[in-house]
Amino acid sequence: MTTQPSDQEIISTVKRFSSVRGQGILANLLAFSRVLKDLGLRVGLSQVIDASRSLEFVDITRRGDFYSVLLSNLICEKEEVALFDRVFDCFWKDITLDEEPMETIELSVPGSEESQEESDGPGGSLEEVVAQATSQEEDRTQDRDPFFLPTYSPRESLNSKDFSEMGIEESRAIGRAILLIASKIATQMSRRKKRALKGDEIDPRWTMRKNIKYGGDIIELVTRKRRIKKTRIVLLCDVSGSMDCYSRFLIQFMYGLQNELWGVETFVFSTSLTRITHLIRTKDIGNALERISSSVQGWSGGTNIGHSLHTFNREFAPSLVTHRTVIVLISDGWDRGDVALMEQEMRNLKRRCYKIIWLNPLLASENYQPLCKGMQAALPYLDFFLSVHNVHSLVALGRTMQKLVA
Amino acid sequence: MNPKKLSIEKIQEALRSRQYICDRSLATVVYLSINLGKPVLLEGEAGVGKTEIAKVLAEVMQTGLIRLQCYEGLDASTALYEWNYPKQMLRIKLEEIGKGDRRTVETEIFTEEYLVKRPLLEAIQSNGTTPPVLLIDEIDRADMEFEAFLLEVLSDFQITIPEIGTIHAKQRPYVFLTSNRTREIHDALKRRCLYHWIEYPTFEKEYEIVMTKHPQIQTHLAKQICAFMQQVRQMNFYKRPGVAETLDWASALITLHRDELDEKSMEDTMGCVFKYREDLHHLKSEVAGKKLNLEGIFKDPMEFQT
Repeated sequence: MTTQPSDQEIISTVKRFSSVRGQGILANLLAFSRVLKDLGLRVGLSQVIDASRSLEFVDITRRGDFYSVLLSNLICEKEEVALFDRVFDCFWKDITLDEEPMETIELSVPGSEESQEESDGPGGSLEEVVAQATSQEEDRTQDRDPFFLPTYSPRESLNSKDFSEMGIEESRAIGRAILLIASKIATQMSRRKKRALKGDEIDPRWTMRKNIKYGGDIIELVTRKRRIKKTRIVLLCDVSGSMDCYSRFLIQFMYGLQNELWGVETFVFSTSLTRITHLIRTKDIGNALERISSSVQGWSGGTNIGHSLHTFNREFAPSLVTHRTVIVLISDGWDRGDVALMEQEMRNLKRRCYKIIWLNPLLASENYQPLCKGMQAALPYLDFFLSVHNVHSLVALGRTMQKLVA
Repeated sequence: MNPKKLSIEKIQEALRSRQYICDRSLATVVYLSINLGKPVLLEGEAGVGKTEIAKVLAEVMQTGLIRLQCYEGLDASTALYEWNYPKQMLRIKLEEIGKGDRRTVETEIFTEEYLVKRPLLEAIQSNGTTPPVLLIDEIDRADMEFEAFLLEVLSDFQITIPEIGTIHAKQRPYVFLTSNRTREIHDALKRRCLYHWIEYPTFEKEYEIVMTKHPQIQTHLAKQICAFMQQVRQMNFYKRPGVAETLDWASALITLHRDELDEKSMEDTMGCVFKYREDLHHLKSEVAGKKLNLEGIFKDPMEFQT
C-alpha cells in the first residue's frame, strides 16, 4: 500500500547519479543518499553522517549488517522501507532491474469478480484509464439503477458554482472556509488543566511557588482551567473516476486541512487505499495533483470502498483512530465492491472513532437520494451526512463541526 | 557487560540468554546505538516486544532502567525536574523562627537537595559504572510540546535549570523510544534516532520464543499455538494478537495441563488471545466458514508456517 516510483524511475535515477559515485564507500554512500532524496525520501545530512560513522562499527562485507546500518540511519518511517529496499538492491548490487515491471501490486479483492476486471485496467496513458474507468462507472450505474441515471451526471445536475468548475476566487473562499472549520475543530476542551489568569480552580503548586517571594504567605493565587484539546482528523478521500471533477477541490481540501490543523492524516482510495499524509506535507501545492496522482494506485479508477476501508481498519486504524478521532469520508458512494464487507468495515470504524462525517458532492442535487447499495449500507453508521459541492456547503460543514465539539 | 567489548553477535547472544529472541537487524541497531550514543526509535504493532528490549538490555548491561511513560499532558515538571515546594516552604518557616540569614536561605533552597528529580534528569545525572537504559515509552501519546523539549535533551544530553545552571550528562544513557504510531512523530526527533520497525515474528521465531519462555511446554503444542497465531494474524480482526498474547495463551494451556490443542480447550482459553467480544465472535464464524482450518493446524502445524 505504499506509494512507489516505478522500477524504471529507480534505475534511471541510479544511473543519473552514477557519475558522482566515486571509488570509496563514502562517495558511494553520498550518492546513495542523493538517489533516495531524489526519489522523494526525506534524508537529512546528519543522518548520512551518522550512517557513515556507523559503518566503522560493523563488518561491511556482511551485506545484511550493511543494510541494517543504512536502513536504521537513513529511514524513519515504516512506509518508506519498501522503497528503500528496492533502491538499495538496485544501487548496491549495481545491476539493473528487469526492464519489465517485476510485479504490480494487486488491486483486486480476492473473490470479487468486479474488481478483478479492473485490475486489468492499468496500462496505457492516464487519459485512457480515466476514460475507460469513467465509462465503466457510468455503464455500471446504468445497469444498477436505471431511474437514477439522469441525476447522476455531476456536470449537469449541480449548479454552475460547483467545485468541478472552480475559479481562483472560489479557491480562495474554500481556503477561508477550511480555516474556519479548522479553528472549530481545534478548540475542543481537554480534561487536562493548565495555568490561567482566570481559571476555575486553584493550582496549589504554582500558588506556593509564586508566593515564595512573600515568605510563604499566600498573597497571589494561581488558578488553572481546562485546556484546549486537539482532535485528530482522518481524511479518507475517494479519487475514483466518478469523483474526477472534484479532484481539484479534494486536493485543496486535503492540503488546507492538513496544513491548518495538527495531526491530520490523509488517505486517498479508489480500488485500494494509499496514505498520502507525507506527500502533501510540503507547502508546494502546485504540483500536488500530479505528484499524488502519479504515486497513487488506481487514481481515477473504479471504486471499492469496502476493500479500502478494510485496509484502513487493518493497517492504520489501530494506531491512528481513537475515541477522539473524527473520520471525514469524501465520496459519492458509488461502490462496486462487496456491500457486506463495506457494512462490516463501517461498523468496525464506527466502533473505534468519535464521529464519522460523510461528505457527498452529489447530495446537493435535488433529485439525489442515497439509493445506491454502498451508500445505503453506510448510512446507519454516519453521524453526519453532508454535501460538499460549493463554498456554502463548506461553511455548513464548519457549523456542524462546531456543534460536534461544543 | 562491558560496552567497549561488544559485538553484534554478543548482543544477540546476551539478549537471547535473557530470553529475548531478536533477529540480527535489531541487534545491529542496538549495537550501533550503544556505539554512536544515538537513541533508538522502535515502532511496531502492540505486543511485539518494543518495551521489553529496553528492560532486557538493562539487565544485560547490569545497569538501571529508567522509564518514562508518556501520556498527553506530560510536561517538564513530571519528566525533568520540579522544585520541592513544601520542603522549601518549611525551610523558610524554620529560618524565620531562627532569624536566619536571608541570602543563605535564598541560595540554599535552590540547590539539588530541594530538587525532585524526574526520569530524564535522573538518567542524565546518573554516574554508575555503566550508563543507565532510558526508556521513553509510547512517545506518540505525549503531545508535540513534550517532543520539542525532548529534542534538546536527546541531542545534547543536557538539561538547563535556570536556578542552578546547565547539567551535562556525565555519560550518555542508552535511550529507547517506542511508538505505537497513533500519530506521527516529528521529523526532527526521528532524525536523531536510529529507526527500527519490529514485525510480527515468523513461525520459527515465535516457536523459539515460546520454547524459551516456557521450556516445559510440549513441542507439538507450541507448534500448534504458533501455527494458529500465524494464521489468525492474516485475518481481519479488530485487534490482532501479538507475541504477548501467544505467551499468555501458552502459559494458560500449560496451567491447564494440556499437551495438545483441541477445539474444546481452544474455546475455553480464547480469552487469552482475543480481548474483544466481536473478535471472539468473528473467530467462531471464521472457524464455521472453514476459512480458518483448525483441523489442519491441530494435526500438522508445520504446514502453516507462513
